[in-house]
Amino acid sequence: MVRARGLIVLTTATLVAFACGGTTGGGGGASKGTIKIGSDLPVCTIGGQAVSNGVQFAVNQKNAAGGVEGYTIQYQSFDDCRQGAYSADAGVDNVRKMLDDNKFLGMVGPYNSAVAKAEIPIAAPKHFVMISPANTNPCLTKDIAGCAYHPQDLRAGNANNYWRVVTTDDYQGPAMATYAYKTLGIKNIGILDDSTVFGVGIAGSFEQQFKSLGGTVAKHSEYKKEQTSDFKSILLGFKNAGALGVYVGGTDDQNICIPRKQMKDIGWDAPFMGGDGIETSDCVDQASGNEPNIYATSAGADATKVDGAKQAIADFRKAFSGPNDFGGYTMQAYDAANALMAAIGRAVKNANGTPSREQVRAEMAKTTGFKGVIGTYDFDKNGDTSLKIVSIYVVTGGLSDAAVKDSTGVCGSKTKNACFVWKTQFDFANQGLHRRVRVKDQERVLRVEDAIRLRQARLVLCSPKSSEEAAFGLLAL
Amino acid sequence: MSLPDFGFYVLCATAIVLLAAQAVIHPGEFVQVFIFGLTQGSIYALVALGYTMVYGIIELINFAHGDVFTLGAYVGSAILGFFAISEGGFTTVNLIALLLVFPAVMLVMGGINVAIERVAYRPLRNAPRLAPLITAIGMSFFLEGVMFLWHGPATVHFPDILPKAATTVAGVFFGFKDVFVVVVAAILVALLAIFINRTKLGKAMRATAQDRDAAQLMGIDINRTIAATFFIGALLAGAGGMIWGLYYNTVYYQLGFRSGLIAFTAAVFGGIGNIPGAALGGLIIGLIAAFSDSYIGSKWTQVVVFGILIGVLVFRPTGLLGMRVPEK
Repeated sequence: MVRARGLIVLTTATLVAFACGGTTGGGGGASKGTIKIGSDLPVCTIGGQAVSNGVQFAVNQKNAAGGVEGYTIQYQSFDDCRQGAYSADAGVDNVRKMLDDNKFLGMVGPYNSAVAKAEIPIAAPKHFVMISPANTNPCLTKDIAGCAYHPQDLRAGNANNYWRVVTTDDYQGPAMATYAYKTLGIKNIGILDDSTVFGVGIAGSFEQQFKSLGGTVAKHSEYKKEQTSDFKSILLGFKNAGALGVYVGGTDDQNICIPRKQMKDIGWDAPFMGGDGIETSDCVDQASGNEPNIYATSAGADATKVDGAKQAIADFRKAFSGPNDFGGYTMQAYDAANALMAAIGRAVKNANGTPSREQVRAEMAKTTGFKGVIGTYDFDKNGDTSLKIVSIYVVTGGLSDAAVKDSTGVCGSKTKNACFVWKTQFDFANQGLHRRVRVKDQERVLRVEDAIRLRQARLVLCSPKSSEEAAFGLLAL
Repeated sequence: MSLPDFGFYVLCATAIVLLAAQAVIHPGEFVQVFIFGLTQGSIYALVALGYTMVYGIIELINFAHGDVFTLGAYVGSAILGFFAISEGGFTTVNLIALLLVFPAVMLVMGGINVAIERVAYRPLRNAPRLAPLITAIGMSFFLEGVMFLWHGPATVHFPDILPKAATTVAGVFFGFKDVFVVVVAAILVALLAIFINRTKLGKAMRATAQDRDAAQLMGIDINRTIAATFFIGALLAGAGGMIWGLYYNTVYYQLGFRSGLIAFTAAVFGGIGNIPGAALGGLIIGLIAAFSDSYIGSKWTQVVVFGILIGVLVFRPTGLLGMRVPEK
């Protein structure tokens, strides 16, 4: 049955391909033909659709400017949602569909790390280029402790076919450690993790960096959601051991922000910090009554804070004017699509005709000094970007309505106008992880129009990302 | 003194000596942790009473009881949604809502528990004892499923409507909430004690617990008495759920599983079937959990609490105050 259905889909896809190819060929005139690129994203979610828009925008621009070396690029967006949420199985099906059509020379995506883990083994033997605009799980590219698998095993001995334009989660802990120690001036801290793979990992990388800077860890405790509801004893332990702040490794679905609320119940006023697992409105709600001064990191630059992206964002807004069309990863997707099309262009030149997938993959691997809108960057041999930016956000309470629009839009629903606001970003580029990091203190006033865009983006983006990591952690277990 | 009794006393004495040492070295921290334990323990006590009453009367470990407690918080949160309550501070509306919703939730949970008894336990009254135990576990999963379908797996917010006043006395920080939890729990336990010892229905319950057949021969309506026991047990569980919600402001659908097991441990610790024992057991387990969180580490708390369950069953199966079960 599944096979039969696959066949029907395949046949339909081929028919459509013929139909479309014919039209483009006939109408284009000067075009040498059509090259397809795909994307695999959870477009049933607003965040996934916003990423797809970024790819569409890049392709439209490229075609309007004459295509890639005379070829017209045709973009097809595949949906990896099943029952309203991303599904690795659906993603694998989509990649198979692309692999079955020779015109597909690469794809943008996926959005979720767990989907990437399932797709890379299918795509790698076929040298099919995948460029993710949003995956932050380090295990996909780095062979580090705490991962349940090795990146080379995913690729099964084939050359790397996977790249990403955002940085990895293992920079989140060090970024917050540096921020806490240097900017907030916290020299002694209590660390709490939720015993999940993600939570333990991020708390560990925080602790290592914090200690290497000269900080003291008052206590490192862990808990399990199904065992602990009352964190007051743990928090009191931190406080009595001299901690001046709390760092949590974990996600909101493990109740990681309830301790924030209970800090107030023991009369302890100190900053509360964590990774992107707490940059959610659920977290702000769990902390209700004590929302301000929750600090969170997020892997990747905030496109609205990058000067180079301003023009592209403005152009994008003209082409895609819907309120939810722009998301936190739209510009990353725009860059990913352009990097892919650039590699295809070089491959076309070398092949002097339609290139093979292997030729495109080889060209993609040679990418250096790529001029994207979020920066100019290289990719290392694992597929990671040299742009290692981590953004820091903080919950600010009692914002004016205008300031709420300025914020990320990740707000609590229990207390009015308490939202995450962009604070600063860390750039780990060209620096060792545990060496001193450069702090770019750019606490610039946010421009209203940028913030409105970001607001809609973050609303949808952050929660799926954090639960994805949680789900991924569970999978790894 | 028998050897098991001796072991039990040695364990208790060691724990008390170690705690006393902490109390002398860091008195401020000790008192603070004591308050944490007292508030947790008060809630466990309310839940433990339901376990012990049901066990006392029909010798059933009602595993669904923890979920009745959790459902109480869910129902309370839903009913509070109808009021224009303020989470920022304490208003008159908050007070009125509290006074109306608190008893309402207790009554609703009482009704639900009577229905559970009617559907899942009464038809099995004369079946082997394993049968109602299995339906109890089934009921537990059923209630968790209902809460899951209602609000999903995420943590649910419970309105924060109590006064936020808090103060520090001699380095010990406590708020209105802490006082509220302990006082309300104490009042409810006192009312239960009066009910059991002074009313006709209470007397009927005690009689039924002692010898069901003899009680029936004396003209006591057994079904009514058992239903009343479930009703009162759930009143306390509903109150416990409300207090939990008001105190922690968060609840999730699986909360009852763990809390239920801990409350059950408390009931066994105090002597299952023994009402003052359950109240005392709840308080002590709450204190042990808080001290374990502070002095040993929260990941060990579960080990400590269930280690106590094993220890009590091995060294002193009758619990602290002795079991009160029918003599056969």
